[in-house]
Amino acid sequence: MITRRTALALPLGLLAPAAAAQSAPPIAMVMNSAGASISVIDMTTRQVIGTHPAFREPSHWALTPDRKTLYVTDAGGNAFFAFDPLTGAPLGHMRIADPYQLAYSPDGKLLVVNALRLNFVDVYDAASLTLIKRFHVGKLPSHLDFSPDGRWCFSSQQGTDSLFSFDTQTLEPRWTRHIGSTPAGVLWHNGKVLVCIMGENGIIEVDPVDGSITRRQETGPGAHNIFFDEGNQILYISNRGPGDTSLSALDPVTLEVRRTYPIAGGPDDIGIAPDGKIWIALRFAEEVAVMDPATGDYDTIPVGRSPHGLYLSTCLSHKGKLTAENF
Amino acid sequence: MSIDRIFSILAGYMDQYAVLPVLYHFHWMEWGDLSFDWCLVCVYGLFAVILTYAICWPLEHLRPIEHWPNQKAVLVDVFYTLLNRVGVIPVITFLLFYQAQTAFTGWVVSMGFIPPTLDSVIPGLFGHPLLTFWIYALILDFADYWRHRLSHTFRAWYALHALHHAQRQMSFWSDDRNHFFDDAIAFVWFFTLGLLIGIPPLQFPLLILGLRFIESFSHANIKLSYGPLEWLIVSPRFHRLHHALRAAGRVSCNYGGVFPIWDIIFRTADFSNVWLPTGDARAPEALATGSYLEQQICGAKMFFAALFAPKRPLGGGQAT
Repeated sequence: MITRRTALALPLGLLAPAAAAQSAPPIAMVMNSAGASISVIDMTTRQVIGTHPAFREPSHWALTPDRKTLYVTDAGGNAFFAFDPLTGAPLGHMRIADPYQLAYSPDGKLLVVNALRLNFVDVYDAASLTLIKRFHVGKLPSHLDFSPDGRWCFSSQQGTDSLFSFDTQTLEPRWTRHIGSTPAGVLWHNGKVLVCIMGENGIIEVDPVDGSITRRQETGPGAHNIFFDEGNQILYISNRGPGDTSLSALDPVTLEVRRTYPIAGGPDDIGIAPDGKIWIALRFAEEVAVMDPATGDYDTIPVGRSPHGLYLSTCLSHKGKLTAENF
Repeated sequence: MSIDRIFSILAGYMDQYAVLPVLYHFHWMEWGDLSFDWCLVCVYGLFAVILTYAICWPLEHLRPIEHWPNQKAVLVDVFYTLLNRVGVIPVITFLLFYQAQTAFTGWVVSMGFIPPTLDSVIPGLFGHPLLTFWIYALILDFADYWRHRLSHTFRAWYALHALHHAQRQMSFWSDDRNHFFDDAIAFVWFFTLGLLIGIPPLQFPLLILGLRFIESFSHANIKLSYGPLEWLIVSPRFHRLHHALRAAGRVSCNYGGVFPIWDIIFRTADFSNVWLPTGDARAPEALATGSYLEQQICGAKMFFAALFAPKRPLGGGQAT
């Protein structure tokens, strides 16, 4: 187990393996929520090269601001698991209350954690991982994102059908708005906040100033999470509601659906590889799909039960904002 | 393709085409993340029933202890089994446990603590999930030994548990025939334990099914013992002694569900090489051969009668 003191050391890379890792093959890491494990896949051979245990229910990930440590959340196990982001080597774990989804503020000073089961939005000092603020707002806080200047944070509340925003400087709530049934994925995009409405059939665009809804776009039943392919300027929405599931590709300006890819097995988080292939965690199929967006064809790689979060080490070469939803 | 993956795919189909449409229609999609787990519970439960039937039915015909001209009394046990393993009960239990555990964890966290799990507090256990699983299995079975033993100790509690013992045609279907209140007490019992030691890891559903199979198998009408391994796993002979007419009531034997070790340690084990008739001679006939509702109503009446008239004798014989 890593202590809070060693956790402090993690961002500095003191526990990270040596520079030999630089030559490591690119890896994908898959958080198997119902399997209490994390699969490590060699992205070149597409073979699972390792499986690391978690306590109960790994779900999402975040890179520390220095990009030297990958944190994987385990909400059911009340823990963070730390990994070398290049090799996937485990670096230890630390106990923390119900971390489901998380993100660092753009300046790297805050770490915001959505505690989905316990209905908290927790704000930690990123360096010391000391809890500095706990918001009791809404129910089932799900996904979150920041404004680019880091001033505002937005957290979807699945259980109260709302979006909550707070000021990261004053740590005071700004507003909470009812936005639709079971909101999930959140992404700052072009000066607005895009939110997937899982209980309906698409996404909405929210004015970050007052939380008013400015646009709606149908994608598919159970719109769950949203990702931006900056290179190809495409927004991807995973739709894993009732019936057939799919991935929608949206124009980033008009938000119109350019193409819908039928993806069986409940697509959840995705990652975009440098070769343009889209890696997709399939919750109901114990598989990760690797799809060619040009053709829509995909191969699958067997992983653990209920694959959820997905990390690609190739994202480390990305120069800009680096979150699960943005590379 | 592993059997585990086949179950996940089946659960996925069930979720996508049966459960999620309902959640979506009623705007309950906040349960969408958990509904897959519910489906897994149902798929594994159905598989357990099929597997138990496939193994036990031929054996019960090949090596029966008793021959029954009429098996009508077994039918209600089939209903109990389907209700408890495949139907709504597992989902309701899952939801109740989830909600209560969440409320408790939230309270503990708000006090500044993080609830423990065995593998997070015992050094060296993390990273050995199989070992962790078996430690949890032993602890839970130990707790079940005492829950079961106490259910034979307190008059009112045995009034509920008598439903389980009233069956004279004990078969592999009989494991789940319990009064609703008795199941509720068991739920609270294991819930409390779950809060103390954490929820067991669920990444080994097949092992969990294996343990449940042992419990079903131990009720089977099969003339079978495990010989020199009798002390290791509860056998049909070992558990039949617990269900014997003479062991019904407040003094009994062989309380263990999976591991007889607890009976050996606490001196309640009986390894007699006999195959005795089962049932509870003092139980009303409705408990033995009544319908599901008749059994539940009769059990409830007995429970309240015992609760408010503690001197009234309930249950029969003495342990050997």
